[in-house]
Amino acid sequence: MELKEIIFFILATATVLSGWLVVSLKNIIHSAFALLITFFGVGGLFVYLSADFLAATQILIYVGGVMILVLFAIMLSEKVYNVSIFHASKILPGLLVLGGVQVVLLRVMIESPWRIRAGADSVMRPTTEILGGLLLNEYLLPFEVISVLLLAALIGAVVLIRKEVKRRREGACL
Amino acid sequence: MPVISLESYLLVGMMLFAFGMFGIITRKNAISVLLGFELVMNAAGLNFAAFSHFTDKTIHGQVFTLFIIALAAAESVVILALIIAVYQKMNTIQIDEIDSLKG
Amino acid sequence: MTLSMPPIPNLHAIAPEIIVLLTSLLVLLIDLIQLRGKKGGLAFLGAAGLALAGIFSYKLLQHPLATDIPGFAVDAYAQFFKIIFCLAGLMVIGISVRYLTLEGFSLGEYYSIILLAILGQMIMASGTHLLVIYVGLELMAISLYILAGFFKHHPKSNEAAVKYFLLGSFSSGIFLYGIMMAYGLTGSLDLSVIAGKVAGAELTGLLLLAVIMMGAGFAFKIAAVPFHFWTPDVYEGSPTSVTAFMSVGPKAAAFAALIRVFSSAFGTLRVEWTTLFICLSIATMVTGNLVALRQTNIKRMLAYSSIAHAGYLMVGFVAGGELGISSMLLYLRIYAFMNIGAFGVVILLNRVGGIGDRIDDFAGLSKVSRASAFVMLVFMLSLAGIPPTAGFAGKFYIFMAAVKNGYVWLAVIGVLNSAVSAYYYLRVIMRMYMVEPGDEPVLNVSTALSAILLIAVVGIIAIGIFPGFCLDLARTSVTSIL
Repeated sequence: MELKEIIFFILATATVLSGWLVVSLKNIIHSAFALLITFFGVGGLFVYLSADFLAATQILIYVGGVMILVLFAIMLSEKVYNVSIFHASKILPGLLVLGGVQVVLLRVMIESPWRIRAGADSVMRPTTEILGGLLLNEYLLPFEVISVLLLAALIGAVVLIRKEVKRRREGACL
Repeated sequence: MPVISLESYLLVGMMLFAFGMFGIITRKNAISVLLGFELVMNAAGLNFAAFSHFTDKTIHGQVFTLFIIALAAAESVVILALIIAVYQKMNTIQIDEIDSLKG
Repeated sequence: MTLSMPPIPNLHAIAPEIIVLLTSLLVLLIDLIQLRGKKGGLAFLGAAGLALAGIFSYKLLQHPLATDIPGFAVDAYAQFFKIIFCLAGLMVIGISVRYLTLEGFSLGEYYSIILLAILGQMIMASGTHLLVIYVGLELMAISLYILAGFFKHHPKSNEAAVKYFLLGSFSSGIFLYGIMMAYGLTGSLDLSVIAGKVAGAELTGLLLLAVIMMGAGFAFKIAAVPFHFWTPDVYEGSPTSVTAFMSVGPKAAAFAALIRVFSSAFGTLRVEWTTLFICLSIATMVTGNLVALRQTNIKRMLAYSSIAHAGYLMVGFVAGGELGISSMLLYLRIYAFMNIGAFGVVILLNRVGGIGDRIDDFAGLSKVSRASAFVMLVFMLSLAGIPPTAGFAGKFYIFMAAVKNGYVWLAVIGVLNSAVSAYYYLRVIMRMYMVEPGDEPVLNVSTALSAILLIAVVGIIAIGIFPGFCLDLARTSVTSIL
């Protein structure tokens, strides 16, 4: 195996293993950190897919944004060393789904004859410029919609969290 | 089969997807469920990028991945706000303890 | 690569969307300026915006425009749905005003988020590109998570929001994976390109899996059995006005996208997915109606009733063709009137803290207020499908379409279910007219609420007696996508 392939193999394995740790560890802080490794792993795999911009975004948004938020939420809300975090009654159906999904997808997706584009592996071009062009031309509408979606998320988060609502409510009840 | 092939990406994506679904189903803690959801979104994003690279001449799949990343971030913000609001009210985020609606 | 200024698309074609978005932002801004005071003005502004958007949609329905926006169709079909969304939104805003003040959550953001959810629904109805549909779906879903948890000091509302998110994320993941497979298979996300590729390809397990996963994603949103687990809890826990909104808008939007995706992209696989939807439809009708029989909470009963209605609608979808789809469209329009109306009466009886949600609270309503009892009577009769209400006309056309397209036995199952459903609707009527009132119910009458109830009743009776106008509109709309 070449060095390139060895690194790929390590990345992929780390991603999958940490993915399993995310859903199997008992301490929620640990599983959050396992998710961190998964995010990095997927970011690394993006590099192999000649998706440089995606790799950067993945690290910036997930690691820099989502992860921090999750950690804050854990600290604000939960007793960190909470041990009983599995539904005992749902582990069996969960495992069934896990197994079922694996078997079905393995059969269907891996064995399916994909039309691989010739020379897919050879060149790695920067993609940022093309992505920018697509976003402002062909995908302008979804791009605008997602900006509205971010606005909705922003408003929603503020509405759900802020405290003053309570005061107003008591006023209204009087 | 070469190590770096479409199939290996699909395999990684499939594992993450299955793990994520497992997490969403079995976890009691709302934040843990959110972590499972992030795994699912990552799995889909990875597969889109892989298809884009291996089977498509264009990079439209990458655009989709970009949208998935943004969506996952927006969704986490709302969910975490919700979780904190629930915690402020009920002092717990264990899903089995938040269970008064039955019938 | 040279960058050039992209041509400015024909904005007239997306006027309804722009109006809804601008209204939403305006509501938000004005809310900032007037911190205190009543929010009735904001509600009125939101309703006016929706009415304007609805009028524009109606104009576009009659004179469809060609648009150069990729992945976005401005055909009569989409406009018909947009009118439903605007109408439903308008009615929901009308029934919300006094309710929110009573519960102490009178906030401008509420109207803003409702408008954004409607924008998401409009995008879903118009999308001809899976990315556009998906983004619209998520905009709607995120807005609904917020709305479900809007009464953040009510444990029930909290619980509803958390449960909605759990199931929502699950379904969104499945839907996304389905899209991903379709992309891997065809190399495109555009429905017409996918249709071309699918028509040429043989039926593989992968293709079938993509269809099933996307179907499951939609089935979650329309609350079809076995993807309905979230519905009763979320409907019961959410603020009643939000429940009214959830039971109509998202369902119609999911049907809009479902019909477009399945009949255009997977049109050649009709035989396969018809079987799938026959099973879903029967399971949905039977489960919804049977479980609704033993509910004591009116919101929960209406939740199961809305599940059953999704089943009837799927009968129309299975029947397909111009007849089937146009009868679905007509039924969705009627359903918006009667369901939001019924929730409006629930709000009328609402007392702070979830009292007024029990079916027993309707006891003796006719003695207290003859008008409100009559209004509820109309909604219940219409939901049960008894002539001369619109609910009868709607069900009639759906089952006729099924019979004409060779699904007689499915129509029979539908009619039988409809008969069963009459029992639990009539039970509410019995309580209102035959039972003496217990403790004196207090009615939260307000001008907006009365106006909406009046519109709903007039709409139901008018469509019930003269269904022709709406049906013609639905027929013209359907021809634009078939």
